[in-house]
Amino acid sequence: MILLLGPLAALPWLAVSYTLTLIFFLSVYLTLALSYDIVGGYLGYINLGHSTSFGLGAYTTAILLNQGCSLAVALGLAILLAAVFATLVSYPLFRLRGAYFALATFGLISLIEVVVTNLRDLTGGSGGISTPPGNNLLPAYYLAIVIVLVTMVFSYYLARSQFGLALFSIREDEEVSRAFGVPTSFYKCLAFVISSVPASLIGGVYVWNMTYISPHSVFGLEIALSPIVMAMLGGSGTMVGPVFGAIFITLVQEFLWTKVPYFHLTMYGTVLVLLGLFMPGGLVRTRWIQPLLQRLGLGEELTYFKNS
Amino acid sequence: MPPDLIQLLVGGILLGGIYGLAAFGLSITFGVLNVLNLAHGEFLMLGALMGYVLFTAFGLNPFISAMAVIPIFIIAGIGFYFLLLRPISEKPPHQLLVASILVTLGASLIIEDLTAFFWERPVTGIAYSLPPLELAGVVVSSTRFLILMFIFFLAFSLQLYLQKTYVGKSIRGITQCLEGAKVVGIPIVFVSALTFGLGVALAASAGVFYVTLFTVTPIMGIPLSVKYMCIVVLGGLGSLVGSVVGGLILGVAESFTAYFIGAEWSPTIAFILLILILIVKPEGLFGKKE
Repeated sequence: MILLLGPLAALPWLAVSYTLTLIFFLSVYLTLALSYDIVGGYLGYINLGHSTSFGLGAYTTAILLNQGCSLAVALGLAILLAAVFATLVSYPLFRLRGAYFALATFGLISLIEVVVTNLRDLTGGSGGISTPPGNNLLPAYYLAIVIVLVTMVFSYYLARSQFGLALFSIREDEEVSRAFGVPTSFYKCLAFVISSVPASLIGGVYVWNMTYISPHSVFGLEIALSPIVMAMLGGSGTMVGPVFGAIFITLVQEFLWTKVPYFHLTMYGTVLVLLGLFMPGGLVRTRWIQPLLQRLGLGEELTYFKNS
Repeated sequence: MPPDLIQLLVGGILLGGIYGLAAFGLSITFGVLNVLNLAHGEFLMLGALMGYVLFTAFGLNPFISAMAVIPIFIIAGIGFYFLLLRPISEKPPHQLLVASILVTLGASLIIEDLTAFFWERPVTGIAYSLPPLELAGVVVSSTRFLILMFIFFLAFSLQLYLQKTYVGKSIRGITQCLEGAKVVGIPIVFVSALTFGLGVALAASAGVFYVTLFTVTPIMGIPLSVKYMCIVVLGGLGSLVGSVVGGLILGVAESFTAYFIGAEWSPTIAFILLILILIVKPEGLFGKKE
């Protein structure tokens, strides 16, 4: 752990701001991928609209910063707003199952995007919103790393808790799990709210660093799908899966995609199709990696995935 | 009723007919394959572009194009099924769900991105019109009226097809009980492939009418898929009447919202209707309670 954290903490004195920005973005996507996976992987409800929380957090923070609030207050209220919103929408949404739930949550993004675009006085409309200028890269870098580490540790212990086990059981068979006394409706709602917290928090930190957002930049397809592709490529329903996927995809983006300016969505699409056809369990459930992870004690939750 | 309200109603019903046609395609696909096709809206977009090309290149009128795209897209849909959906169809439920979302969403992104690359400008409707009709003091565009008649004709013949033919009965049988259908010897793979083709062709056919009346852009596919899903849930799963009625409700609601509140709010209506129906009557207007 110290081997990993030491270089990360010392990096600002060694590297250029490009590397810092790269790691900042990696942390943002990784936080989103990990928090997506609480509902998408542990609970088994594919929440394609996870970036709604991110966008709500970002917009709330931006508006409050412009009102002169301190960062801590703004972030706190952003989390609160996103959590309340998640509680409200989880009731009707969890009446849907499977692919219908996925598509409905996907529709949620465009609903919020339209609302945000139309409320021009509050949000600046489609032109976007700027926060007070300033170079916050260094503190935002540390803050993002702390958030991602806390999310990782939380996700690790969640998978080993009684609550986590209940979520796995709902994923495998909701009726049986309810028959055994798991309060399924309450736990689904709770998981949905919990997963919105890191997403809205990192949204706030994101806008604090970038100082500008538009509806397209926080509710667009890129921010909606990247974390999900990362989680699924790495292996949904585990803590290590999203980490694998996020690092892999960020590296591929940096070294390959900057050379090809077109067809980014096509490449995402192709990755998705190939994953669906050949590897719905993800990288960490492949024959070569799974035994390794289990020897390291990181892959305990892999064994809960009965269908693989 | 004042004339502009009637105009709105007629416009809404027309839009709703187009929605209903495509939504029913989504509904039968889900009923038979147990896979929600997230790329459904993309096929409407492709159908619309094909209708546009047929019109500009050959001067084909939209009614002929709407029939012409059906066999083309049935074949395309069958190809899509065997290439992408058949390999995953035997997986256990949770894996089938994950795999089908990945595959259809991926396909939808690929179609959208490639179309957007080759088709830079949005297609702003085709210049096909007939002299307007005047019915009891209300001016109705006769193109719109004919399209509406044509959609009802398609829906009616579809209903006959499902009621009377062997394949139609198999489709309904598989929707009701997959195991039972297997036991009585219905060729599941064949019927699944054909159903998928049919669903896709209905979307494409609706697309030809869509481009006759509205602007088409390559990025409209995914929002449309969401709308169809809302209609299917609103009307009740697997019900043709439900899809048509759901489509009509959404179409009318959208055109009224655009008129009274503002056009920028009309995209939100589909989702608000979805939330309302889920709270009040989760099985849909014409759905059966489980």
